[in-house]
Amino acid sequence: MPNISPFIITGLAVGAVYALSGVGLVVLYRACGVLNFAYGAIGSIGALLAWQILEYWDVEILAWFIAIGASTLLSFVYGRYLAPRLAYRDSVVKAVATLGFALILLGIARWYWSDDPRHISFQMDTVGISILTVRITLTRIVAFGSAVVITIGIALFLNNARIGLSMRALANNRDLSALLGIPVPQVETRAWLMSGFLAGVTGLLLADLVRLDAIVLTFMVIPAMAAAVVGRLKSLVGTLVGGILIGLFEAIATPFQTISPYRSVIPFVVATMVILWLQRHKQVALAKGD
Amino acid sequence: MINLTTRYGAFFKVVIVSSILMTLIAACGGANPASAPSANSLCGLGNGEAATAAPIVVGAAVGASGGPADFSSASKGAAAYFNCVNANGGINGRPIQYIVEDDGWNPEQSGQVSAKLVNDDKVVALVGNTSFLDCAVNGQFYKDSNVVVIAGVGVPRECFESENISPTNQGPRLSSIGAAQYMNEKYGATKFVCMALNIPNFGNWSCDGMSEWGKDKGITVDQVIFDPATMDPTSLVLQAAAFEPDAIITTMPAPVATALLKAAEEQDLRAKYHWFGPTSLYDLAFPGAVGSYWEGYLDVQIELVNIDSAGSDNQNWLKVMDGYADAKDPRDSFSQAGFLAAKIFTDTMLKLDPAKIDRASVTDALKAVKGYKSDLLCSPWYFGPGTTHNANHAGLMVKLEAGGKWSVTKPCFEVEDPALAPILELEKSQGLTK
Repeated sequence: MPNISPFIITGLAVGAVYALSGVGLVVLYRACGVLNFAYGAIGSIGALLAWQILEYWDVEILAWFIAIGASTLLSFVYGRYLAPRLAYRDSVVKAVATLGFALILLGIARWYWSDDPRHISFQMDTVGISILTVRITLTRIVAFGSAVVITIGIALFLNNARIGLSMRALANNRDLSALLGIPVPQVETRAWLMSGFLAGVTGLLLADLVRLDAIVLTFMVIPAMAAAVVGRLKSLVGTLVGGILIGLFEAIATPFQTISPYRSVIPFVVATMVILWLQRHKQVALAKGD
Repeated sequence: MINLTTRYGAFFKVVIVSSILMTLIAACGGANPASAPSANSLCGLGNGEAATAAPIVVGAAVGASGGPADFSSASKGAAAYFNCVNANGGINGRPIQYIVEDDGWNPEQSGQVSAKLVNDDKVVALVGNTSFLDCAVNGQFYKDSNVVVIAGVGVPRECFESENISPTNQGPRLSSIGAAQYMNEKYGATKFVCMALNIPNFGNWSCDGMSEWGKDKGITVDQVIFDPATMDPTSLVLQAAAFEPDAIITTMPAPVATALLKAAEEQDLRAKYHWFGPTSLYDLAFPGAVGSYWEGYLDVQIELVNIDSAGSDNQNWLKVMDGYADAKDPRDSFSQAGFLAAKIFTDTMLKLDPAKIDRASVTDALKAVKGYKSDLLCSPWYFGPGTTHNANHAGLMVKLEAGGKWSVTKPCFEVEDPALAPILELEKSQGLTK
């Protein structure tokens, strides 16, 4: 039996960022009913811009500001000007539209930045402590801490603030909410802004912890989706737990030679297992002749 | 559907039109022959006259998009050379029309683009192919179509074991073994970890090669094979470290290796193990990407000569890239390999009657190439008979030094892969290198 302790520690940080990404997806889905496949691509543009700024000026605070600002802006532009045009379309159409947006952003990123090897580092990477023979950088601690704090913060905010109530109302019935006087465009725009902000934060953290690569960051949406599915696209705390579990299982599988090369299927396995678990008491009713 | 007559219509029109214009500019603005050296005597006929007769159609299938790295560097090196040849008399007056297709790292697309090149474009040969898929997907098709491939960069095993494909490079297996030989000789390393991508006939093939080479020498090689989509490089580095090796090799494209080395930096592991890699890390952008932390701690085996070599072919490659390629196109081993493939093709075609150049005559001529000398390689290149082709089996070692410079630490040396035995025997019996 290999020693899995170091892998638990490394898995926690990446899992926390998956969770944070999942929270960004759930917040948007709860308000607008849009499953945003462009979430990772939006974060990747911010991360690549941050790298560019660090290359030119090496001012870290500016890089963070621009990265999060750019991701928030991209999310805002899509949410304010494109998403409303699809408001009455089927949810699959809305999701596929975001996939189109993701491919456009990915194309721009690959065209402008190509695939030259590059990496991004922050001052936080130079500070760390050693636990169980693993050096844990401040970036990992911040990633884990911010995921927990932001998730709980957003959950409390949405449960108590009026905007949270409006978002829940919108998710239930858009037309009825409008009749009741809820400013639909404003509420939806705020959800897109919040989601874009989280995409910027998670894009930067994953670029540091995983790899600064447009494709990798774009497809980071897969474990994030799996985390959101664990939270049934409703529960932020469930999403947090799901994301951390996926990150943990991915890392713990590493030292097991037989399954290690196939770790990338773990998000799907976790999501599938959770769906099956949640369905355990439901019975399938078949009509006569089926 | 977006209604362009809305109040945002003008905005969207501007964005769309700008995007189209930018794309066209990007597509057309690459090579600029006007800024090239006036006449480069080392390109084809070297007469300074543009070729205007009926073109000779040549293709290339590359894995440019959709994967962990852009593998089109070889085709860009080949395209630069063909542009230079076309500006200098072509193939006895006939220009080369070079069509490059992207297989998108997708097996289905790989089959489609090769069928297009061979059946629709009717290429006489493929030159500068570089793909993780092409050889496996299309090797038999190329044989059945009697079309020859001089691969710029062969990557998986099938590129070296297909009847009609012969690469100018060594491949990841030989490059990994060569690097391990040096690590054993220089640092006395006997316990290796081979980190590689879980791609069929790539990762395992390369790492198994190291094991076979080391079997009789008391050398052990543990493997860390992982999916390219794996998200946490720190876990992979910890897995490699758990074997407590003397040296760790990263056999993978440079962008993926960059992430692993950054994770190793986070754990401050540069001095705890010897770190080394195959030629894919020999990239001018790589030192900047991994940072000064790795200076003095990374050894790399290169399959063609160092890019600052004073050899005439290497210097000509640099001049041709400056004159006929985009400034952004990489200047790396893969570009050298593509350039060399194009040069072999051109030099072979110049010996044929231009009126009789067709697929059959080109296939026969290219398959007959032997003893082709170039200072880009450590030993002469030949196409070779049969189904196994690995003419390039000697390389150099370089080390990442202060200031992000690569310096040669060992000149040309032979790679001692036991699997090369039948190839070496053929070379000797048929005089292929003479």
